[in-house]
Amino acid sequence: MNTNTYIVGRGFLYWLDARAKLLLIVLLSVMVFFPSHYLALSLLFLLIFIIVWYSVGFKQSLRPLRSLLFIIVVMALFIPLTQRGGEPLWAVKGTVLVTREGVAHFATLALRLLIVTYSCTLYIWSTPMAAINLALRWYGLSYKGALTVTLAFRFIPFIGETFVMIRDSHSLRSASDSSQKERLRLGDLVPTVTSALVFALKAIPHLATTLEHRGFGSTLKRSSYKRLEAKGGLFIHFLLSVIILLATFVLLNSI
Amino acid sequence: MSDYFKIEGLTFAYQGYGQDEEPPAVFRNLSLTLQEGGKVLILGPPDSGKTTLARIMSGLLPRYIEGELKGEVLLNGRSVPNLAPWELLEECTLVAQNPQEQLLMTTCGDEVAFPLESLAIQHPELEARADAALESWGLLEYKEVNPQELSGGERKRLLLAVTEAIGAPLWIMDEPFDDLDEGWRQVLKEKIKTREGAVILFASRYLDEFDPLFGSHYLLEGGALSGGDVKAKLAKVEGGEPFKVEQDLLHGEHTLKCNEVVIGHSRRSTDTVVPFTLKVDNFEITTGEVVALVGPNGSGKSTFSRVLCGLSSTLEGSVTLDGTPLNNQERLFRVAYLFQNPDYGIFLPSVREELGWSQRHTAPQTREALVGEGASLFDLSLEENPSMMSYGKRKKLQAAVYYILDRPFVIIDEIDSGLTYSDAYKIVALLKKRGAGVIVITHDRSFTLNLASRQYKIEEGEVVESGVGE
Repeated sequence: MNTNTYIVGRGFLYWLDARAKLLLIVLLSVMVFFPSHYLALSLLFLLIFIIVWYSVGFKQSLRPLRSLLFIIVVMALFIPLTQRGGEPLWAVKGTVLVTREGVAHFATLALRLLIVTYSCTLYIWSTPMAAINLALRWYGLSYKGALTVTLAFRFIPFIGETFVMIRDSHSLRSASDSSQKERLRLGDLVPTVTSALVFALKAIPHLATTLEHRGFGSTLKRSSYKRLEAKGGLFIHFLLSVIILLATFVLLNSI
Repeated sequence: MSDYFKIEGLTFAYQGYGQDEEPPAVFRNLSLTLQEGGKVLILGPPDSGKTTLARIMSGLLPRYIEGELKGEVLLNGRSVPNLAPWELLEECTLVAQNPQEQLLMTTCGDEVAFPLESLAIQHPELEARADAALESWGLLEYKEVNPQELSGGERKRLLLAVTEAIGAPLWIMDEPFDDLDEGWRQVLKEKIKTREGAVILFASRYLDEFDPLFGSHYLLEGGALSGGDVKAKLAKVEGGEPFKVEQDLLHGEHTLKCNEVVIGHSRRSTDTVVPFTLKVDNFEITTGEVVALVGPNGSGKSTFSRVLCGLSSTLEGSVTLDGTPLNNQERLFRVAYLFQNPDYGIFLPSVREELGWSQRHTAPQTREALVGEGASLFDLSLEENPSMMSYGKRKKLQAAVYYILDRPFVIIDEIDSGLTYSDAYKIVALLKKRGAGVIVITHDRSFTLNLASRQYKIEEGEVVESGVGE
């Protein structure tokens, strides 16, 4: 999952309350695992992609897709080979390699992966981290649990950005001429990943000490800087989430 | 008057891992006394243990990083090592040298509010205190901005805002003036001066801003604090004469130039702050010269550097070498860039491997000779583990890496951070030894006056040439 934190954007999802949105995302993610036709899933993914595009822009909306591309290519190569029963689409010397059912199975799995990834990513992009923390606590998660989740979302992209900085630093040290560019980049991946991991490991004791230095662990009941405010009333927000879920259910069962 | 803060017979050694011999003690029998409201300056060269001592004083060491501590550290009569860090929240606050270590949250407002939430401060006081601290450090408009989108100096100001919001009677500050521009250094100086609470400040060199802030000065060297003749101590730490080396223009004479360049980006986390843009109509540097690049925090010095070295692209205009436009890839191996944070470029388990990595495609004998030369010139031990070295020493290692790479142009970002004057002068002198053109980014006027022949300044979104030291 691409876990970049909050990105300024526009649209309905930025207005929707973090609690109602969380319910919507979780139930939507569960719903796509019900038996559905891949065309219905395609339609749902297309709708979600258009919403992401409208919310954060086209370039940004492609990022989760780019992250998943490798996995999807691997799935495309191997899933049809494991599902060879049914109507043959491609056979070599009498051996069936690809069937319509195999392709459908691959499409269903890939679309489920894309829908869940895009939905969760959009939640994180459209919801400030403090609001996610408060929403998780509203659902009964302890402060420590909610903080752990939000810190993970804070640090995973941080490590990703660190990886980019380290890669940049290494490219400055490796660069010689353009003809060697690609070969060096591949060869440099291991030390770059190693550096990012070392950086991340070194950050752990600093994170722990800073949390405690800022009062985490104290027995005092914490106050809260941010509050969740549902414009128009929380009921309206939940009602809208339920309506969207029902519409999705209808869509998934229409084909 | 009673002793407010007292260290008595402190001895500390980090825990060794997988080594036959235990690491040597960082301090031996160190003692210090501070009265209530007292202000102490502790100077020490890189690797003298300033950060370690600051962490011990704040109750953060030994804890998640292990070590053996003997002796007493008392704050208001209470033993600091026996208290949990959260019990010290209202007593003392540490400002770390590297602000990245202390940033937890995803907006500046949340960062300042986090310790106030721990203190159970309720609205509207909570918001008022957070806003006042942010405003006091010029960050109120960045309240909803992700700290990761701030410049190094702005992050340092954010930590200072957190410290101010907590309002603890003791501030422990590890190189707090580093990364701050001239204006914000004056603000910090004034805050320390007018403050009723106590301050313990650690620094690698004596800055003009330290006059006359501190009641007592110490030198931390050889694991102990020494008082006595302050002037002599400072001279010993600074060794502030520009380092002289013979210069050969091995790269020949070349000019790197920006023609009508425009750089820009927007912030991902908010649209309330005006997107960043920088105009560079006429910037140039020739091999063999040292040029200073100065400007306030967040003005775009690092962003401009990334464009010069080919890590980022321009929106408009071109970067040329002797009149020929260079694309990003062509700039990558002509312009070296020493990042503000040395850790981005250091990743191998020994100085030898770190220095040799960039030369891995050269013949072993040539590589060994270069590695040996780099280590010797920059006072590094080949078998030392970079991750166990001090921040200042890691900066020296980063400089040694680029010395070996021998690029015709070098940018050094925030050279003054964590280094003594003598070390910083030496780094610049060595990097220009073979005739490189060096761009020095700094907030310290002494550096620009002593090092640079020309200066560019970033003013109101534009890079313009100005008089040196202005």
